[in-house]
Amino acid sequence: MKRLSSLLKISVSALLVFFSLTASGSNLYRPSAGAGEAGMGYVCVMKNGFWNSFHNQASLAFNRSLSIGFNYENRFNISDLGTRSAGITIPAGSSSIGLLYSNFGNTDFKRERTGLACGIKLSDKISAGVQVDYLSEKTSEEYSNNRSVTYETGILVTPSERLSVGIHLFNPIPNSIRKTYLPTTLRIGAGTTLSKSLFTGIEAEISTGSKLIFRTGFEYEAAKRFWLRSGFSSENSSFSFGLGYLAKIVQIDIGFLTHEKLGVTSSISLIFKIH
Amino acid sequence: MLLILYSFSSFSQETNLSEVIMNVAEELAADEADPEGVATYIERLQELADDPVKVNTSNVDDISRLFFLSDFQVKALADYSKSSGQIISIYELANIPGFDKKTAELLIPFITINDKINIKSDAVRWRSTLITNFSIKPGIEDSTSLGSPWKILTKYKFTSGSLSGGLTSEKDPGEKFFYSSPPQTDFLSAHITYNGRGTLKKLILGDYSARFGQGTTINTGIRTALSLTAPGYMSARNEIKPYTSTDENNFFRGAAAEFSFKNLGLSLFYSKNYLDATLGSSSGSSEDFIKNFHKTGIHNTYSLVQKKDAVSEIAMGMNLSYNFRKIRFGLTWSDNKFSLPVQPETVTTNNVFAFQGDRNTLYSIYYNSLIRRILLYGELSTNELNRYAFVQGLSFRPSDRLAVNLLYRNYDAAYMSFHGRGPGNNSVTGNEKGILGNFTFEAAKHLFISAGFDRYYFPWLKYRCSSPSQGTKQEVRAKFIPSEKLAIEATYSYKASMVDIIEPIGIPKLNKIITKRIKCSLRYFLHEDLTLGTRIDYKVVDPSGSKGMLLLQDLIYRLKPFPVTVWFRFCIFNTDNWDSRLYTYENDLLYSFNIPALSGKGSRSYFMAKWDVADFAEIRIKYGITSLFEDGFTQNNKDEIKVQFKIRF
Repeated sequence: MKRLSSLLKISVSALLVFFSLTASGSNLYRPSAGAGEAGMGYVCVMKNGFWNSFHNQASLAFNRSLSIGFNYENRFNISDLGTRSAGITIPAGSSSIGLLYSNFGNTDFKRERTGLACGIKLSDKISAGVQVDYLSEKTSEEYSNNRSVTYETGILVTPSERLSVGIHLFNPIPNSIRKTYLPTTLRIGAGTTLSKSLFTGIEAEISTGSKLIFRTGFEYEAAKRFWLRSGFSSENSSFSFGLGYLAKIVQIDIGFLTHEKLGVTSSISLIFKIH
Repeated sequence: MLLILYSFSSFSQETNLSEVIMNVAEELAADEADPEGVATYIERLQELADDPVKVNTSNVDDISRLFFLSDFQVKALADYSKSSGQIISIYELANIPGFDKKTAELLIPFITINDKINIKSDAVRWRSTLITNFSIKPGIEDSTSLGSPWKILTKYKFTSGSLSGGLTSEKDPGEKFFYSSPPQTDFLSAHITYNGRGTLKKLILGDYSARFGQGTTINTGIRTALSLTAPGYMSARNEIKPYTSTDENNFFRGAAAEFSFKNLGLSLFYSKNYLDATLGSSSGSSEDFIKNFHKTGIHNTYSLVQKKDAVSEIAMGMNLSYNFRKIRFGLTWSDNKFSLPVQPETVTTNNVFAFQGDRNTLYSIYYNSLIRRILLYGELSTNELNRYAFVQGLSFRPSDRLAVNLLYRNYDAAYMSFHGRGPGNNSVTGNEKGILGNFTFEAAKHLFISAGFDRYYFPWLKYRCSSPSQGTKQEVRAKFIPSEKLAIEATYSYKASMVDIIEPIGIPKLNKIITKRIKCSLRYFLHEDLTLGTRIDYKVVDPSGSKGMLLLQDLIYRLKPFPVTVWFRFCIFNTDNWDSRLYTYENDLLYSFNIPALSGKGSRSYFMAKWDVADFAEIRIKYGITSLFEDGFTQNNKDEIKVQFKIRF
């Protein structure tokens, strides 16, 4: 019976790893944080915003208020495939500091990520950011646990008021100097404000060992402080949509991401802009 | 505004250079038929960037050094410079008939416009440049190598008035630093050149390269029509120039002279050089024939050292040309004799037409005629067996916004030129016929479109083709330059070629390999000190369906408080196998280059810094690393370190 239980745990763990990979980009260590970003199909490397600050730390420099956010993402309506995230951004002079914690999985397989980020405006048009990450993967019983420290870095360029370009690099450290394997990811994207209320973006992403992914998405301010979002990703031909509303100091976002075979990933997030 | 353009061009010079090189070099690097072509091409452009053409004080001959310009453009630039006086901005060039913004940007690294000031003092001053490159791949150790793993290259050149000279020394990885007595490095090359303005136009003693007509008889430099969508490379001009490259087998060593009497031009050359070869023995005692030539120039093992300078070759030739009002005719004679006869070990169907014997004499007649907007050119060469090589080309410029080229070539299977390189896809000028066409069109104010095709046949068998075969190349390139700061380029290329399918018995059948590739790049000069470059490549090879893709980001930054420029690249690639490999040109040290063939799954990144220590000294350091995933999780790193010192005095 114990043996059967172990086998079950192995298969559950394997499935969790597989599912954690799908519907959130080919790098399984990438943060899933942000329902607003999910609604746009994770086209966010060139865009400012609370959760975007953890996708491209350069955009942290534009977060000029003390904010706290919480996010919950559930993949394919399976309770074991939940990601819980919390983050805080703190303005500090000409730069901003951010802290992110997220955990995915259940008691048999858990993946945690803690990140300390800093973003700084280098000039009117250029900002840069860096984040140090502590990643941990725990599997039940005799299976090995992995821990790793790495960093990620990004720059955000705004050549004009209407155009922004974001470049983000996760884990540029050669893996040979570390025991645990971690993929390296490069994300490059450009976005433009087509009108006062419409933002569109396009992004390319590639991780070591994975295929190239293209994403495109838009955010439309349909009414004052009310946003509609949608996007498309070439990975699994996935469509996404979502909406967001800002009520005084609280922003609430909901996002849905489709997978052609596995179903829908839904997420909800709350952001409190305190000061 | 002009000041802005000046400062912009000074920083963008190197960025533009690498872009110009990249456009053609990656295509050449992928061309297995011409392995040395890419090195020759890059060195030629780097040399030109190191000694740019002074457009305000140059004549047609000097401007002709811009070998990628068409004859129309060379003439138009010379006429404009004469008639308008001083050209004060690089972008003024875009207004010259036959030029556009794209061509003006192409010229940035290779010309200077503020050259009138110091011309007198510069002309007589002794100026020297010394460059030394050290490079090593620490992870690669070969116990069979004779020498250290360092690659060391030293180049010295001087100019003083009409006199110039140079010395090049190279030691490849694994080679011994000194050979023989008196001690000398594995490759040593030198020349002294006199440039005259009278009857004697040029005299070179030492090592030199030469090219006449369309190159089917003599061409030790770059071949014509080396790019499908860069029509300027269709032009071919006569030249004898000092040899400063590091290809150890394709150059002349001796003396060459160029004379000019009014409309008559005469070039003479004589060379005695030693070539690497594998020798064979028919009698079983002494080696008495050449089995094949060894062209890599690497001598890092005992067996390769045995091949070094195994045979001598005496080459001589003459070129006579005469300029009528609108047409130039030329005659070339060349003769080369080896100390041993060339003879294949066994005669097979494949090599039945291969050269045999110790002497090859070639004759050619060529012409070149520019009538208004039409340039016609052609060449007919023959050997003593009456086997021929024929080239006929047409360049047409119906408007200043459109240039069209057509080029036909037909080389007999038994035609062979050891120092010739006509336009074509085969590794030698022989056994090929084909037609090539291309155009460049300024479709809108900021949009440039060029396209080209090449359809070719190999009437006899060749390497990996056991039947007559054929191939096609097509390419479309669109470049959008909305401002001086932004350039977006997209290229689609298609290539169909044939190779044998290995079968246990009988003549192998031919398999058609189709390669399709899309390359998109974006370069943005954010401000005068920062440039960003992004690139996406996608490639599919059929019938295997093998796919390759990459995403690449470049960042070039000039640190304002210090005279330091840094280059950074990060690239992640994913290819199914070697067939779908992708080539990416990298910025590198001067007179060194790296175009890694990225295959498998992994990443490639490099960092390079250039420090201008003083007006006369520069140091460059480069570190590059390629990480490959052998089985998805195990990583294999290959890195290299390069250092360069450059001094002017």
